[in-house]
Amino acid sequence: MTHHRVVAVLAALLLVAVAFATPATSQAPQTPKSGGVLNLTQREDLPQGFAIHETQTSSTVWPSMPCLNNLVVYDPAKKTESLDTIIGDLAEKWSWQDNYRNLVFFLRKGVKWHDGQPFTSKDVKFTFDMVREAPDAPAKLRINPRKDWYANVEAIETPDPSTAVFRLKKPQPSILMMLASGYSPVYAAHVPPASYRTGCVGTGPFKLKEWRKGEFVEYVKNPDYWYKGRPYLDGLRYIVIAERGTRTAALQAGKVDLAFPGETSKTTAEELKRAVPQLVVTPVSENVNNNIIMNIQKPPFDNLKVRLAVSHAIDRRALVQAVYQGGGIIGVSMAPRPVGFWGLGEKEIAALPGYGKPADEKAKAKALLAEVGVSPEKPLKVEMVTRAIAIYVDMASFVINELKQIGIEATLKQIETAQWHAMAVRGEYQIGANLTGLGADDPDGNFYENYACGSPRNYTHYCSEPVMKMIDAQSQEIDPKKRVAMVAAIQKKLEEDAARPILSWRLDYFTYSPHVHGFVPHNNVYNNGRMQDVWIDR
Amino acid sequence: MKTYIAQRLGVGILTLLGMSLVIFALLRLAPGDIVDILFSTAGYVSPSEKEAIMKELGMDRPYWVQYADWLRQIVTFDLGKSYRYDLPAWQIIRPLLPVTIELAVLSILVAVLLGVPTGVISAIRQDTALDYALRVVSLGGLSMPAFWLGMVIILALVSWLRWIPPLTYVSPMEDLKLHAVQFLLPALAVGYRSSALIMRITRSALLEVLREDYIRTAWAKGQTGRVVIWRHALKNAMLPVITVIGIEFAFLIGGLVVTERVFNLPGVARFLVDAILWRDYPIVQNLVMFIAIVVILANLAVDMLYGVLDPRVRYGG
Repeated sequence: MTHHRVVAVLAALLLVAVAFATPATSQAPQTPKSGGVLNLTQREDLPQGFAIHETQTSSTVWPSMPCLNNLVVYDPAKKTESLDTIIGDLAEKWSWQDNYRNLVFFLRKGVKWHDGQPFTSKDVKFTFDMVREAPDAPAKLRINPRKDWYANVEAIETPDPSTAVFRLKKPQPSILMMLASGYSPVYAAHVPPASYRTGCVGTGPFKLKEWRKGEFVEYVKNPDYWYKGRPYLDGLRYIVIAERGTRTAALQAGKVDLAFPGETSKTTAEELKRAVPQLVVTPVSENVNNNIIMNIQKPPFDNLKVRLAVSHAIDRRALVQAVYQGGGIIGVSMAPRPVGFWGLGEKEIAALPGYGKPADEKAKAKALLAEVGVSPEKPLKVEMVTRAIAIYVDMASFVINELKQIGIEATLKQIETAQWHAMAVRGEYQIGANLTGLGADDPDGNFYENYACGSPRNYTHYCSEPVMKMIDAQSQEIDPKKRVAMVAAIQKKLEEDAARPILSWRLDYFTYSPHVHGFVPHNNVYNNGRMQDVWIDR
Repeated sequence: MKTYIAQRLGVGILTLLGMSLVIFALLRLAPGDIVDILFSTAGYVSPSEKEAIMKELGMDRPYWVQYADWLRQIVTFDLGKSYRYDLPAWQIIRPLLPVTIELAVLSILVAVLLGVPTGVISAIRQDTALDYALRVVSLGGLSMPAFWLGMVIILALVSWLRWIPPLTYVSPMEDLKLHAVQFLLPALAVGYRSSALIMRITRSALLEVLREDYIRTAWAKGQTGRVVIWRHALKNAMLPVITVIGIEFAFLIGGLVVTERVFNLPGVARFLVDAILWRDYPIVQNLVMFIAIVVILANLAVDMLYGVLDPRVRYGG
């Protein structure tokens, strides 16, 4: 199906205004079997327990999703996520009204929290009023990384226990994308939000049995789950294995059934396949990109020519080969096709700074630098910062070598994790090598978070009034076809402004045991951890 | 003797007080704090929210108040609350202690059982092929970091047997055999390195003693080799060996970080590193104090053993 046809289907769905949800189903060819415990890898202990709304890491969302439900969710059986792969979760169906200003959710009846309390629309209002920090919100999150996702929500109304209405300030089709993310579960209104840091009262397919700190998280099947017949498994066990080599050995020995999302490199997957050919390896996008952040508020990167020279200088294809042994794909600010929905095509990308023939691009970079007085005799000396983690440092080292070839001499400064975000937010750097993960493959989530004026995660402090207008316009555009074109234009403009040159999109070679069925790895590490359709046949 | 022990314990308490100051100061000197880490998991920073959390955790109070509060907690056996887990620190620390103590004791046992006999053999067969072979083995132990050896053991097991030790703690009540396997493999990896050191010290100390006049006298009196070596020579050569064993044991309590990580054992050392990375002050401070107490007690125990092994040693006031 062509991209335009996909968009047309999407438009038809939206124009009908009512999307009927079906429970998540797996397309496994065999008859699912019930029973058994699935062993999953957890790369570190849960950073803030099960408090998904207070974190931005898969280390929290992956092991917490089985406990909770969203209003809507990305179909677990579909690898690539988009508006048309969203299905109902706690919302049985939903409806756009008043020209996309009201989003009405019709909730499932008879759903119970794990402590036996009934789930109602009050829980929905409680959760999202808290996340958007409504003036009359009954509770406050300690840390609230996704408040901006719901900035367009004017009010949440609950006309009856089974209906929740999101009233929007202006039309925003994307809000469904954010609500479907693993980062958007519904919390129980009758328990304090802080309690999710130590335990979990959810409506999800699995109930928390035990969290032994630093060791494991254990779930048991929720016998009262609203989706009759699910989950198939009797339980889940997330084993914390901090050492990468031990994680790989555990997978090889069959002690764990699933790798941790985003953790298996191409080389590791190849080694595993050689050792145990039966293992299933699926290359998927992590929805994480490598990028260069340049502080636009400070010289020399306040000069567009210098920023563009940096972008021209870096050979993206060589980076993917050298640093990721081919385990990455080229794309700009939205995940490229086929792993993403909004990304530019190859031809469009090829015309952007840094994507031509390496020699030509480096020549362009040198010419730009010459215009600002930089030459081999008079090189530009800068300090490049990066997070003190191998995946960051490897990328930074490659970039430094590339920059040296055009007359920019960069020294590397590694910043400890505790300091990294604070440093970036305060703009205490010149140039940096960075990784950006996106909770949803959605233009609103990405552009408002990383490129909007004043956003705390806009580390470069790039602020362009015309671009802001373009971002606002695409957000409100109801016609999917038009919106795709508008998003493409923004992506091009961002690269032409060298706002945050994207170097590549990381691939995960997600590996799991052949005994595991009903699990489809997604092109996003944050949204597919519910496990309700997964079954095992040992 | 009692006066000596009381004096040593008094000095120990003063040492712990000094340690507490050093730990407290070093932690605060390290860049960043728990709130920075919390924000880094959220990918942004908000100064006003940061201020609120600092207040919630009591980190906005003057340092001397925080320090005094910690000392009060230690004295009242209330170790405070983990910043990261929002649970009493003792609840977090308690299950870690038996794991690390058991691993350290087993490792030392392996080290002694391997190191002392090979050291003795090496000494009494000085400059023979056997001595050279044992010294090469010992040099290997010193050259190979325990974590590397641990990873080699795991990779060998997984490659040849498609098996690795349990990934979560198995209590002896649950399955004694599996528990033993879970601890013996890392104990072998760690113990081999320590045994190399013990072997070399035993060898050199024994060689020195074997040249003493009283040993020559024992040979002249027609004592059997076993009696001369094991009763007369080795007993007197054991003082430096005991010192090394004591130091190694104290080191192991806090130095098993990577071994615990490689074998996925939920012990003190692995948890301590995580707590440091998270700047979870209550956990770090109390775990380091625990390690300091073990070091002090291990040293005291070694000093006491001197008197047992060598009656010439007198404990004066």
